[in-house]
Amino acid sequence: MYRKQVRRRRAVLVLLVIVSLVLLSSHFSEGSSGPLHAIQRGLATILAPIEEGADRALKPARDLVGWFDDTFDARGENESLKTEVQDLRERIVAAEAATKENEQLRGLLKLGEGGGIAGFESVTARVIGRSPTVWYSTVTLDRGSSSQLAVDDPVVTGDGLVGRVTETTAGTAQVTLITDHRSAVSATAVPDGPSGVVKPEVGDPQDLLLDFIENESQVREGQTVVTAGWTSGRLSSAFPYGIPVGRVTEATIGEQETYARVHVEPFADVRDLDFVQVLTTAGAADGASADIGAEG
Amino acid sequence: MIITPKIVLRLALLMLVAVVVQLAFFSRISLLGASPNVLPVVVVCLGLLGGAVVGAVCGFAVGFLLDSALLQTLGVSSLVLLTAGYLAGRYRESFDVTSPLIAPALAGSLTLLASAGFAAVQLMLGVESPVSLLVLRELVMQAIFGLLLAFPVYPLVRRVLSPALVEDTPRRGRLPIPFRTA
Repeated sequence: MYRKQVRRRRAVLVLLVIVSLVLLSSHFSEGSSGPLHAIQRGLATILAPIEEGADRALKPARDLVGWFDDTFDARGENESLKTEVQDLRERIVAAEAATKENEQLRGLLKLGEGGGIAGFESVTARVIGRSPTVWYSTVTLDRGSSSQLAVDDPVVTGDGLVGRVTETTAGTAQVTLITDHRSAVSATAVPDGPSGVVKPEVGDPQDLLLDFIENESQVREGQTVVTAGWTSGRLSSAFPYGIPVGRVTEATIGEQETYARVHVEPFADVRDLDFVQVLTTAGAADGASADIGAEG
Repeated sequence: MIITPKIVLRLALLMLVAVVVQLAFFSRISLLGASPNVLPVVVVCLGLLGGAVVGAVCGFAVGFLLDSALLQTLGVSSLVLLTAGYLAGRYRESFDVTSPLIAPALAGSLTLLASAGFAAVQLMLGVESPVSLLVLRELVMQAIFGLLLAFPVYPLVRRVLSPALVEDTPRRGRLPIPFRTA
Protein backbone atom coordinates (compact mmCIF):
# COMPACT_ATOMS: atom_id res chain seq x y z
CA MET A 1 0.00 0.00 0.00
CA TYR A 2 2.77 2.41 1.05
CA ARG A 3 4.86 1.44 -2.00
CA LYS A 4 1.87 2.14 -4.22
CA GLN A 5 1.51 5.59 -2.65
CA VAL A 6 5.18 6.34 -3.21
CA ARG A 7 4.93 5.23 -6.85
CA ARG A 8 1.85 7.40 -7.39
CA ARG A 9 3.55 10.38 -5.77
CA ARG A 10 6.63 10.03 -7.93
CA ALA A 11 4.54 9.53 -11.05
CA VAL A 12 2.58 12.74 -10.37
CA LEU A 13 5.80 14.68 -9.80
CA VAL A 14 7.46 13.39 -12.96
CA LEU A 15 4.30 14.01 -15.00
CA LEU A 16 3.95 17.60 -13.76
CA VAL A 17 7.63 18.37 -14.36
CA ILE A 18 7.36 16.98 -17.90
CA VAL A 19 4.16 18.97 -18.57
CA SER A 20 5.88 22.14 -17.28
CA LEU A 21 8.90 21.59 -19.52
CA VAL A 22 6.70 20.82 -22.53
CA LEU A 23 4.67 23.99 -21.85
CA LEU A 24 7.87 25.99 -21.55
CA SER A 25 9.47 24.76 -24.75
CA SER A 26 6.21 24.81 -26.76
CA HIS A 27 5.44 28.34 -25.62
CA PHE A 28 8.86 29.44 -26.77
CA SER A 29 8.81 27.70 -30.10
CA GLU A 30 5.27 28.47 -31.25
CA GLY A 31 4.28 31.82 -32.72
CA SER A 32 2.08 34.32 -30.93
CA SER A 33 -0.93 32.88 -32.79
CA GLY A 34 -0.25 29.34 -31.54
CA PRO A 35 -2.74 27.34 -29.44
CA LEU A 36 -0.92 27.85 -26.13
CA HIS A 37 -0.85 31.61 -26.64
CA ALA A 38 -4.55 31.49 -27.51
CA ILE A 39 -5.37 29.57 -24.32
CA GLN A 40 -3.24 32.00 -22.34
CA ARG A 41 -4.96 35.03 -23.86
CA GLY A 42 -8.35 33.44 -23.15
CA LEU A 43 -7.47 32.90 -19.50
CA ALA A 44 -6.01 36.40 -19.22
CA THR A 45 -9.23 37.85 -20.66
CA ILE A 46 -11.30 35.94 -18.10
CA LEU A 47 -9.02 37.00 -15.24
CA ALA A 48 -8.80 40.67 -16.28
CA PRO A 49 -12.11 41.87 -14.77
CA ILE A 50 -11.34 40.03 -11.52
CA GLU A 51 -7.89 41.62 -11.40
CA GLU A 52 -9.33 45.03 -12.14
CA GLY A 53 -11.93 44.69 -9.37
CA ALA A 54 -9.28 43.51 -6.92
CA ASP A 55 -6.99 46.34 -7.99
CA ARG A 56 -9.64 48.94 -7.15
CA ALA A 57 -10.71 47.22 -3.93
CA LEU A 58 -7.15 46.84 -2.65
CA LYS A 59 -5.96 50.32 -3.57
CA PRO A 60 -6.60 51.80 -0.08
CA ALA A 61 -4.61 48.99 1.50
CA ARG A 62 -1.79 49.51 -1.02
CA ASP A 63 -1.79 53.22 -0.34
CA LEU A 64 -1.55 52.58 3.39
CA VAL A 65 1.47 50.31 2.95
CA GLY A 66 2.92 52.84 0.52
CA TRP A 67 2.49 55.61 3.07
CA PHE A 68 4.47 53.68 5.68
CA ASP A 69 7.21 52.88 3.18
CA ASP A 70 7.33 56.47 1.92
CA THR A 71 7.56 57.83 5.47
CA PHE A 72 10.45 55.48 6.13
CA ASP A 73 12.22 56.61 2.98
CA ALA A 74 11.36 60.30 3.33
CA ARG A 75 13.99 61.04 5.95
CA GLY A 76 16.84 59.95 3.71
CA GLU A 77 15.33 61.60 0.66
CA ASN A 78 15.00 65.03 2.26
CA GLU A 79 18.64 66.01 1.90
CA SER A 80 19.02 64.78 -1.65
CA LEU A 81 15.78 66.53 -2.63
CA LYS A 82 17.09 69.87 -1.31
CA THR A 83 20.13 69.54 -3.56
CA GLU A 84 17.93 68.50 -6.45
CA VAL A 85 15.63 71.52 -5.99
CA GLN A 86 18.64 73.80 -6.24
CA ASP A 87 19.72 72.06 -9.41
CA LEU A 88 16.20 72.14 -10.84
CA ARG A 89 15.85 75.89 -10.26
CA GLU A 90 18.86 76.44 -12.47
CA ARG A 91 17.45 74.08 -15.05
CA ILE A 92 14.04 75.82 -15.07
CA VAL A 93 15.67 79.05 -16.15
CA ALA A 94 17.39 77.25 -19.00
CA ALA A 95 14.24 75.27 -19.83
CA GLU A 96 12.07 78.38 -20.08
CA ALA A 97 14.35 79.76 -22.73
CA ALA A 98 14.37 76.42 -24.51
CA THR A 99 10.55 76.17 -24.40
CA LYS A 100 10.22 79.57 -26.02
CA GLU A 101 12.63 78.54 -28.74
CA ASN A 102 10.81 75.22 -29.11
CA GLU A 103 7.45 76.95 -29.61
CA GLN A 104 8.90 79.06 -32.36
CA LEU A 105 10.45 76.04 -34.06
CA ARG A 106 7.21 74.02 -33.71
CA GLY A 107 5.36 76.83 -35.34
CA LEU A 108 7.83 76.77 -38.16
CA LEU A 109 7.61 73.01 -38.62
CA LYS A 110 3.81 72.89 -38.00
CA LEU A 111 4.14 70.00 -35.50
CA GLY A 112 1.34 68.82 -33.20
CA GLU A 113 0.48 71.00 -30.24
CA GLY A 114 -0.33 70.09 -26.62
CA GLY A 115 2.92 68.44 -25.65
CA GLY A 116 1.94 65.20 -27.36
CA ILE A 117 4.21 63.28 -29.67
CA ALA A 118 3.54 63.77 -33.34
CA GLY A 119 1.99 60.74 -35.02
CA PHE A 120 0.88 59.12 -31.75
CA GLU A 121 -2.36 59.13 -29.83
CA SER A 122 -2.25 58.44 -26.12
CA VAL A 123 -4.53 55.99 -24.34
CA THR A 124 -4.60 56.13 -20.56
CA ALA A 125 -4.59 52.72 -18.91
CA ARG A 126 -4.65 51.42 -15.36
CA VAL A 127 -2.03 48.95 -14.14
CA ILE A 128 -3.93 45.93 -12.82
CA GLY A 129 -1.12 43.46 -12.25
CA ARG A 130 2.60 43.13 -11.88
CA SER A 131 4.99 40.24 -12.19
CA PRO A 132 5.95 39.06 -8.67
CA THR A 133 9.53 38.22 -9.57
CA VAL A 134 12.70 40.05 -8.66
CA TRP A 135 13.28 41.00 -12.28
CA TYR A 136 10.88 43.97 -12.53
CA SER A 137 9.84 42.65 -15.89
CA THR A 138 6.18 43.12 -16.78
CA VAL A 139 2.96 44.84 -15.79
CA THR A 140 -0.56 44.18 -17.02
CA LEU A 141 -2.86 46.99 -18.20
CA ASP A 142 -6.65 47.09 -18.21
CA ARG A 143 -6.76 48.14 -21.89
CA GLY A 144 -6.08 45.94 -24.86
CA SER A 145 -6.53 45.62 -28.58
CA SER A 146 -10.16 46.78 -28.31
CA SER A 147 -8.76 50.18 -27.19
CA GLN A 148 -6.45 50.28 -30.23
CA LEU A 149 -3.41 49.13 -28.28
CA ALA A 150 -0.93 47.15 -30.34
CA VAL A 151 2.32 45.30 -29.83
CA ASP A 152 5.36 47.63 -29.73
CA ASP A 153 3.39 50.69 -28.62
CA PRO A 154 5.53 52.80 -26.25
CA VAL A 155 4.26 53.16 -22.68
CA VAL A 156 5.02 56.29 -20.66
CA THR A 157 4.08 58.08 -17.46
CA GLY A 158 4.29 61.80 -16.74
CA ASP A 159 7.87 61.17 -15.63
CA GLY A 160 9.18 59.29 -18.64
CA LEU A 161 9.46 56.04 -20.54
CA VAL A 162 8.15 52.90 -18.84
CA GLY A 163 8.37 50.23 -21.53
CA ARG A 164 6.46 48.92 -24.50
CA VAL A 165 3.46 46.69 -25.17
CA THR A 166 4.56 43.14 -25.93
CA GLU A 167 1.28 41.21 -25.90
CA THR A 168 -2.37 42.13 -26.14
CA THR A 169 -5.74 40.53 -25.56
CA ALA A 170 -9.05 42.25 -26.21
CA GLY A 171 -9.18 43.74 -22.72
CA THR A 172 -5.60 43.62 -21.41
CA ALA A 173 -2.07 44.33 -22.50
CA GLN A 174 1.26 43.14 -21.20
CA VAL A 175 3.94 45.80 -20.92
CA THR A 176 7.59 44.79 -20.87
CA LEU A 177 9.29 47.34 -18.64
CA ILE A 178 12.56 49.06 -19.46
CA THR A 179 13.96 47.23 -16.42
CA ASP A 180 13.27 43.81 -17.97
CA HIS A 181 16.33 41.83 -19.05
CA ARG A 182 15.10 41.69 -22.66
CA SER A 183 14.80 45.47 -22.89
CA ALA A 184 17.11 47.60 -25.02
CA VAL A 185 16.12 51.11 -26.03
CA SER A 186 18.10 53.26 -28.44
CA ALA A 187 18.64 56.55 -26.64
CA THR A 188 20.72 59.68 -26.66
CA ALA A 189 22.05 62.01 -23.98
CA VAL A 190 20.94 65.61 -24.42
CA PRO A 191 22.09 68.21 -25.09
CA ASP A 192 24.86 67.33 -27.55
CA GLY A 193 25.44 63.88 -26.09
CA PRO A 194 26.24 60.61 -27.80
CA SER A 195 23.72 57.89 -28.69
CA GLY A 196 23.70 54.37 -27.32
CA VAL A 197 21.44 51.63 -26.08
CA VAL A 198 19.74 51.81 -22.69
CA LYS A 199 19.75 48.41 -21.02
CA PRO A 200 18.72 47.45 -17.52
CA GLU A 201 20.90 46.29 -14.70
CA VAL A 202 18.65 43.33 -13.92
CA GLY A 203 17.20 43.39 -10.44
CA ASP A 204 17.85 47.07 -9.81
CA PRO A 205 14.86 49.20 -10.85
CA GLN A 206 16.76 52.39 -10.05
CA ASP A 207 19.63 51.83 -12.43
CA LEU A 208 19.87 51.58 -16.20
CA LEU A 209 22.97 51.42 -18.37
CA LEU A 210 23.55 53.54 -21.46
CA ASP A 211 25.71 51.10 -23.35
CA PHE A 212 27.50 50.99 -26.68
CA ILE A 213 28.60 54.60 -26.73
CA GLU A 214 32.03 55.54 -27.99
CA ASN A 215 34.78 55.79 -25.38
CA GLU A 216 35.73 59.29 -26.53
CA SER A 217 32.19 60.56 -26.07
CA GLN A 218 31.67 63.20 -23.45
CA VAL A 219 28.84 62.33 -21.10
CA ARG A 220 28.32 64.46 -18.03
CA GLU A 221 26.61 63.57 -14.79
CA GLY A 222 23.15 65.13 -14.70
CA GLN A 223 22.56 64.99 -18.46
CA THR A 224 19.12 63.85 -19.51
CA VAL A 225 18.74 60.72 -21.62
CA VAL A 226 15.88 60.58 -24.13
CA THR A 227 14.81 58.04 -26.72
CA ALA A 228 16.75 58.39 -29.98
CA GLY A 229 13.90 57.53 -32.34
CA TRP A 230 15.89 56.37 -35.32
CA THR A 231 14.55 55.61 -38.79
CA SER A 232 16.25 53.57 -41.48
CA GLY A 233 14.27 52.97 -44.64
CA ARG A 234 11.07 51.12 -43.77
CA LEU A 235 12.42 50.21 -40.36
CA SER A 236 11.97 52.61 -37.49
CA SER A 237 12.43 52.56 -33.74
CA ALA A 238 9.41 51.58 -31.66
CA PHE A 239 9.99 54.76 -29.68
CA PRO A 240 9.75 58.23 -31.19
CA TYR A 241 12.47 60.74 -30.48
CA GLY A 242 12.36 62.69 -27.27
CA ILE A 243 10.68 60.53 -24.62
CA PRO A 244 12.61 61.19 -21.38
CA VAL A 245 14.24 58.02 -20.05
CA GLY A 246 16.37 59.14 -17.13
CA ARG A 247 19.30 61.15 -15.84
CA VAL A 248 22.99 60.25 -16.03
CA THR A 249 24.27 59.42 -12.56
CA GLU A 250 27.69 58.00 -13.30
CA ALA A 251 29.93 57.63 -16.33
CA THR A 252 32.67 55.04 -16.05
CA ILE A 253 35.10 54.37 -18.87
CA GLY A 254 37.33 51.32 -18.60
CA GLU A 255 40.72 51.75 -20.25
CA GLN A 256 40.50 48.41 -22.01
CA GLU A 257 36.91 48.87 -23.12
CA THR A 258 35.81 50.05 -26.52
CA TYR A 259 32.55 51.41 -25.18
CA ALA A 260 31.83 53.60 -22.21
CA ARG A 261 29.20 52.46 -19.76
CA VAL A 262 26.99 55.17 -18.35
CA HIS A 263 24.64 54.67 -15.42
CA VAL A 264 21.22 56.26 -15.81
CA GLU A 265 18.59 56.67 -13.13
CA PRO A 266 15.17 56.25 -14.77
CA PHE A 267 12.67 59.08 -14.31
CA ALA A 268 9.72 56.70 -14.05
CA ASP A 269 9.51 54.54 -10.95
CA VAL A 270 8.48 51.14 -12.32
CA ARG A 271 7.74 49.87 -8.81
CA ASP A 272 4.98 52.40 -8.32
CA LEU A 273 2.79 52.51 -11.38
CA ASP A 274 -0.94 53.10 -11.14
CA PHE A 275 -1.75 54.76 -14.44
CA VAL A 276 0.26 54.90 -17.64
CA GLN A 277 -0.20 56.29 -21.11
CA VAL A 278 0.16 54.09 -24.14
CA LEU A 279 1.24 55.91 -27.29
CA THR A 280 -0.70 54.15 -30.00
CA THR A 281 0.15 54.30 -33.65
CA ALA A 282 -3.21 52.90 -34.76
CA GLY A 283 -3.91 54.38 -38.14
CA ALA A 284 -0.79 56.50 -38.00
CA ALA A 285 2.45 54.91 -39.22
CA ASP A 286 2.74 51.66 -41.14
CA GLY A 287 6.49 51.21 -40.94
CA ALA A 288 7.91 48.14 -39.33
CA SER A 289 9.51 48.76 -35.99
CA ALA A 290 12.50 47.26 -34.32
CA ASP A 291 13.91 48.37 -31.04
CA ILE A 292 13.78 46.77 -27.65
CA GLY A 293 13.41 43.13 -26.88
CA ALA A 294 14.41 40.02 -28.66
CA GLU A 295 14.11 41.86 -31.96
CA GLY A 296 17.20 43.77 -30.93
CA MET B 1 -6.44 15.10 3.15
CA ILE B 2 -9.79 13.79 1.91
CA ILE B 3 -10.34 15.06 -1.60
CA THR B 4 -13.99 15.66 -2.49
CA PRO B 5 -15.47 17.86 -5.25
CA LYS B 6 -16.22 20.51 -2.62
CA ILE B 7 -12.62 20.52 -1.45
CA VAL B 8 -11.38 20.75 -5.04
CA LEU B 9 -13.64 23.77 -5.48
CA ARG B 10 -12.29 25.32 -2.28
CA LEU B 11 -8.73 24.68 -3.41
CA ALA B 12 -9.43 26.25 -6.81
CA LEU B 13 -10.99 29.32 -5.22
CA LEU B 14 -8.13 29.62 -2.76
CA MET B 15 -5.56 29.50 -5.56
CA LEU B 16 -7.48 32.01 -7.67
CA VAL B 17 -7.78 34.43 -4.76
CA ALA B 18 -4.07 34.00 -3.97
CA VAL B 19 -3.04 34.82 -7.55
CA VAL B 20 -5.36 37.84 -7.78
CA VAL B 21 -4.23 39.21 -4.40
CA GLN B 22 -0.60 38.68 -5.39
CA LEU B 23 -0.99 40.55 -8.67
CA ALA B 24 -3.21 43.35 -7.40
CA PHE B 25 -1.69 43.86 -3.97
CA PHE B 26 1.57 42.20 -2.97
CA SER B 27 3.36 42.70 -6.31
CA ARG B 28 2.39 46.37 -6.29
CA ILE B 29 3.70 47.27 -2.85
CA SER B 30 7.30 47.85 -1.97
CA LEU B 31 8.58 47.30 1.55
CA LEU B 32 12.24 48.04 2.22
CA GLY B 33 12.86 47.88 -1.49
CA ALA B 34 11.26 44.50 -2.13
CA SER B 35 7.81 43.12 -2.91
CA PRO B 36 6.43 40.17 -0.93
CA ASN B 37 5.41 37.03 -2.81
CA VAL B 38 2.54 35.20 -1.16
CA LEU B 39 2.21 32.45 -3.79
CA PRO B 40 5.08 30.19 -2.61
CA VAL B 41 3.72 30.62 0.94
CA VAL B 42 0.23 29.44 -0.07
CA VAL B 43 1.66 26.52 -2.04
CA VAL B 44 3.90 25.50 0.88
CA CYS B 45 0.91 25.64 3.25
CA LEU B 46 -1.12 23.46 0.87
CA GLY B 47 1.78 21.00 0.65
CA LEU B 48 2.13 20.92 4.43
CA LEU B 49 -1.57 20.28 4.92
CA GLY B 50 -2.28 18.04 1.95
CA GLY B 51 0.96 16.21 1.24
CA ALA B 52 3.35 16.02 -1.69
CA VAL B 53 0.79 15.27 -4.43
CA VAL B 54 -1.58 18.06 -3.38
CA GLY B 55 1.36 20.45 -2.98
CA ALA B 56 2.79 19.65 -6.41
CA VAL B 57 -0.56 19.80 -8.22
CA CYS B 58 -1.55 23.07 -6.52
CA GLY B 59 1.92 24.54 -7.19
CA PHE B 60 1.59 23.66 -10.85
CA ALA B 61 -1.92 25.14 -11.06
CA VAL B 62 -0.96 28.38 -9.29
CA GLY B 63 2.05 28.76 -11.58
CA PHE B 64 -0.05 28.15 -14.69
CA LEU B 65 -2.65 30.69 -13.55
CA LEU B 66 0.05 33.26 -12.77
CA ASP B 67 1.84 32.84 -16.11
CA SER B 68 -1.49 33.08 -17.93
CA ALA B 69 -2.61 36.21 -16.09
CA LEU B 70 0.71 37.91 -16.80
CA LEU B 71 0.96 36.63 -20.40
CA GLN B 72 4.47 35.40 -19.66
CA THR B 73 6.23 32.20 -20.71
CA LEU B 74 4.06 29.27 -19.61
CA GLY B 75 5.69 26.63 -17.46
CA VAL B 76 8.33 28.70 -15.67
CA SER B 77 6.31 29.54 -12.54
CA SER B 78 4.61 26.12 -12.64
CA LEU B 79 7.96 24.33 -12.52
CA VAL B 80 9.22 26.41 -9.63
CA LEU B 81 6.05 26.34 -7.54
CA LEU B 82 5.33 22.64 -8.02
CA THR B 83 8.81 21.95 -6.64
CA ALA B 84 8.11 24.11 -3.59
CA GLY B 85 4.74 22.42 -3.01
CA TYR B 86 6.19 18.93 -3.45
CA LEU B 87 9.05 19.56 -1.03
CA ALA B 88 6.67 20.97 1.59
CA GLY B 89 4.47 17.90 1.17
CA ARG B 90 7.43 15.54 1.46
CA TYR B 91 8.42 17.27 4.68
CA ARG B 92 4.96 16.69 6.07
CA GLU B 93 5.08 13.02 5.04
CA SER B 94 8.53 12.48 6.56
CA PHE B 95 8.32 14.48 9.77
CA ASP B 96 5.69 15.56 12.24
CA VAL B 97 4.65 19.18 12.08
CA THR B 98 4.79 19.65 15.82
CA SER B 99 5.94 23.23 16.23
CA PRO B 100 3.95 26.26 15.07
CA LEU B 101 7.24 27.65 13.74
CA ILE B 102 7.72 24.88 11.18
CA ALA B 103 5.28 26.33 8.64
CA PRO B 104 6.86 29.82 8.69
CA ALA B 105 10.40 28.42 8.59
CA LEU B 106 9.53 26.14 5.70
CA ALA B 107 7.64 28.93 3.90
CA GLY B 108 10.65 31.24 4.25
CA SER B 109 13.19 28.71 3.02
CA LEU B 110 11.04 27.42 0.16
CA THR B 111 10.18 30.99 -0.91
CA LEU B 112 13.92 31.58 -1.14
CA LEU B 113 14.27 28.39 -3.15
CA ALA B 114 11.35 29.35 -5.44
CA SER B 115 12.69 32.88 -6.06
CA ALA B 116 16.19 31.57 -6.70
CA GLY B 117 14.75 28.83 -8.91
CA PHE B 118 12.81 31.38 -10.94
CA ALA B 119 15.94 33.50 -11.32
CA ALA B 120 17.93 30.42 -12.38
CA VAL B 121 15.34 29.44 -15.01
CA GLN B 122 15.36 33.01 -16.34
CA LEU B 123 19.15 32.94 -16.53
CA MET B 124 19.03 29.63 -18.39
CA LEU B 125 16.53 31.09 -20.84
CA GLY B 126 19.00 33.87 -21.57
CA VAL B 127 19.57 37.17 -19.81
CA GLU B 128 21.46 39.57 -22.03
CA SER B 129 21.90 42.31 -19.44
CA PRO B 130 24.16 42.49 -16.39
CA VAL B 131 22.52 41.24 -13.22
CA SER B 132 22.60 43.52 -10.20
CA LEU B 133 23.68 42.27 -6.80
CA LEU B 134 20.43 43.76 -5.53
CA VAL B 135 18.77 40.58 -6.81
CA LEU B 136 20.38 38.76 -3.88
CA ARG B 137 19.03 41.30 -1.40
CA GLU B 138 15.57 40.94 -2.92
CA LEU B 139 15.75 37.14 -2.73
CA VAL B 140 16.57 37.35 0.98
CA MET B 141 13.86 39.95 1.58
CA GLN B 142 11.28 37.76 -0.18
CA ALA B 143 12.30 34.85 2.03
CA ILE B 144 11.83 37.00 5.14
CA PHE B 145 8.45 38.20 3.88
CA GLY B 146 7.54 34.59 3.13
CA LEU B 147 8.41 33.61 6.69
CA LEU B 148 6.31 36.45 8.13
CA LEU B 149 3.37 35.89 5.78
CA ALA B 150 3.15 32.24 6.78
CA PHE B 151 2.01 33.22 10.29
CA PRO B 152 -1.41 34.47 9.08
CA VAL B 153 -1.58 32.41 5.85
CA TYR B 154 -1.07 28.92 7.34
CA PRO B 155 -4.00 29.12 9.81
CA LEU B 156 -6.14 30.68 7.08
CA VAL B 157 -5.43 27.89 4.59
CA ARG B 158 -5.93 25.33 7.36
CA ARG B 159 -9.31 26.85 8.14
CA VAL B 160 -10.39 26.83 4.50
CA LEU B 161 -9.43 23.17 4.15
CA SER B 162 -10.51 22.06 7.63
CA PRO B 163 -13.36 19.75 6.45
CA ALA B 164 -10.85 17.71 4.47
CA LEU B 165 -8.07 17.48 7.02
CA VAL B 166 -7.42 14.27 8.90
CA GLU B 167 -5.70 14.58 12.25
CA ASP B 168 -2.32 12.93 11.93
CA THR B 169 -1.08 10.47 14.51
CA PRO B 170 2.66 9.83 14.45
CA ARG B 171 3.52 6.56 12.69
CA ARG B 172 6.13 4.12 13.89
CA GLY B 173 9.44 4.88 12.31
CA ARG B 174 8.39 8.37 11.39
CA LEU B 175 10.76 11.04 12.58
CA PRO B 176 9.02 13.43 15.00
CA ILE B 177 11.32 16.32 14.30
CA PRO B 178 13.79 16.86 11.53
CA PHE B 179 17.28 15.41 11.90
CA ARG B 180 16.43 13.80 15.22
CA THR B 181 18.64 10.87 14.46
CA ALA B 182 21.62 13.13 13.79
